[in-house]
Amino acid sequence: MIPNTPEQVWVGSKEYSWRMDWATNGWLILAAVTSGLGDIMFSHLVREAPVTIQWVVAALPFAFILLWARALSRWIAGMDELHRRITISAVLFAVSATLFVIMLWHRLDKAGLFQAMFPATGGTGARWDIATVGHGALLLTLFYGLGHARFAKRYL
Amino acid sequence: MKSRLRELRASRRWSQAELAEMLGVSRQTVNAIETEKYDPSLPLAFKMARLFQAPIEEIFQDDSH
Repeated sequence: MIPNTPEQVWVGSKEYSWRMDWATNGWLILAAVTSGLGDIMFSHLVREAPVTIQWVVAALPFAFILLWARALSRWIAGMDELHRRITISAVLFAVSATLFVIMLWHRLDKAGLFQAMFPATGGTGARWDIATVGHGALLLTLFYGLGHARFAKRYL
Repeated sequence: MKSRLRELRASRRWSQAELAEMLGVSRQTVNAIETEKYDPSLPLAFKMARLFQAPIEEIFQDDSH
């Protein structure tokens, strides 16, 4: 049996497999898309809908996130021991760094730092919130890439 | 940990990819073990010992002391 490798989900690599990438990360993409659509729809359409529908629209992305976590753990479980060690380290780093950035950003936003730095946006109602599934997915991807490069350097 | 894996592999004229397939690991893992950047787990070390029909101590030497 050929073990899974991290390169299978790196677009542009020789070993890239869109099938494996979709199987592993498809749920995260769905989560980001449904979350974004939900954010857009909520203020206009969903608020008029019954509470059950509002709950489904709000919670659906998180169901997809749980499915993504399951797909990710299966992908990692199919790796050989060295790649599994590197990838788990990278995933842990990505999750920690993403949580750190989102919590720090939220804190700075609550303290009014961004409004003070960019006063022109205050009256426009611009939001500085990055605690969304889309932003989280982007940050996870970025920090996973950085983490993987850092931990792989030790062994490969 | 010092490893004779490269020497044993070369004696059988196996490529890293061929050895990796026989062991059920990636080629990068074989390379990392040969370049002594990675010490294999016990199950993998035993697999290598069975494949090369040699005791583990003949393939790996502990150089920690």
